[in-house]
Amino acid sequence: MDTFFLVIGMGLCILVLLVLYRVVYGPGVFNRVAALSAIGNKTLIILLIMGFVYHRVEMFIDISMVYALLNFIGTIAASKYLEMEGSIL
Amino acid sequence: MEVTLLIEAMDTSFGLLEDARKKAVELLDSAVKLTSETRGVEENKIQAILKGAQETKLEFLNVIATFLILFGFWVLLSGKYDFFHLTLGVICSLLVAFLNHDLLFANARVGDAKVIFQRFIAYIPWLLYQIVSSNIHVALVALSKNKPIDPRIIRFKTKLESDISWVTMANSITLTPGTITMDIKDGEFFVHALDKKVADDLNAGEMEDRVAHVFMEADHIYVQDVLDVAPIFGELRKGL
Amino acid sequence: MIQISDDIIIKTLARVLVPFIQLYALYVIMHGHHSPGGGFQGGVILGASLVLLVITHGLKGTQKRISEKSVAIFSSLGVLIYAGIGVLCLVLLGNFLDYSKLAILLSVPLAQARSLGILGVEIGVGLAVMAVMFSIFYNIATGGKQSEEDNN
Repeated sequence: MDTFFLVIGMGLCILVLLVLYRVVYGPGVFNRVAALSAIGNKTLIILLIMGFVYHRVEMFIDISMVYALLNFIGTIAASKYLEMEGSIL
Repeated sequence: MEVTLLIEAMDTSFGLLEDARKKAVELLDSAVKLTSETRGVEENKIQAILKGAQETKLEFLNVIATFLILFGFWVLLSGKYDFFHLTLGVICSLLVAFLNHDLLFANARVGDAKVIFQRFIAYIPWLLYQIVSSNIHVALVALSKNKPIDPRIIRFKTKLESDISWVTMANSITLTPGTITMDIKDGEFFVHALDKKVADDLNAGEMEDRVAHVFMEADHIYVQDVLDVAPIFGELRKGL
Repeated sequence: MIQISDDIIIKTLARVLVPFIQLYALYVIMHGHHSPGGGFQGGVILGASLVLLVITHGLKGTQKRISEKSVAIFSSLGVLIYAGIGVLCLVLLGNFLDYSKLAILLSVPLAQARSLGILGVEIGVGLAVMAVMFSIFYNIATGGKQSEEDNN
């Protein structure tokens, strides 16, 4: 079971590297914001898989919930900043 | 004699045509009036939804319901069920419920909450099935050799009546792969779809019907539509 | 004329999520001793929930819930709780922040007195961190120019 989760985790890491291409070369800033949000989603699942591998899932669920929250608020703040050209409110 | 008969026949036929023309103009006027009244009603409805999302009501039942939901969430999060931690949970849930009681149930109708909750739980498996089937379709399109995509933007009005059902519909559209809700402006949805098949699935309206069934709305609109249209049909039938 | 914003999706989602975020922050503060968390982390999450309210509902809508004056009071209250527990231990003839002396006041075993003392200190830290985070965000976002008397 541990090997299964390990292989899935490595597959997800390779997918993160694929999306990283869009962060670096994306023409324009909106592509980069959307790609960062997608990387945040995959990081969440990788954290949970690490919890399974280390046999301490309860601890990693707390950490991944906080990261999901910060990803959500960060994406909303970044897109509001870009839409209103310099202010957030 | 034939000429007089001919002239009389032409007179009667011109008279009939004139009557028919007047009746057609009257019907057109009443149709225009009805459409502008409907548009006024639509505007009022949309303004009421946006304003209702802003103002919130102050009710004791709101506090109790929010406290119960938050305490359930606390018990789910915390694995310890001894007296000390449960008391801490009660105090924290009461504090948050007092400060934010008008946020969770802004314009809820009191009696329907239980039915809406059960119907929402029954809606989720259908949504999961839609997500899986759209996922398979989009994966086949993306992995094929010449990628037959045909992107388009659809714009439609819905029959849903409150902001929670708008948001549920928008989230369901975005969760199924192939369609993304771009904006909701003036009560119209702007949706970007990947190719013709997913656009047709959306335009068929099954998701909208199911969301309206979950939130118990739009059951009476069809009767109102018939009542609006019947006078025009009655006039046409009399004139012919 | 009330400014009705057009982002109804984000407004509805934010107003439904904020009570759950605040309850999660309080859970993180209270369970600091056996799962990752503590005072500072919970305070940051509380501040993040207030920032979410400001971004989606505008500044005036949030100031009806928590005004600038109460934010200043909260920051001082947090430090007062922290230093107050320390001074209480001094008064009970111990060292500063020596929680074992609290066992005399609360009549509980010694280890539990230490645990309750740490919990109280964490609550003070959480309140102070939330208030400071929100006031830093507020001052940077409005550029220091907007004060409460200008809003009408």
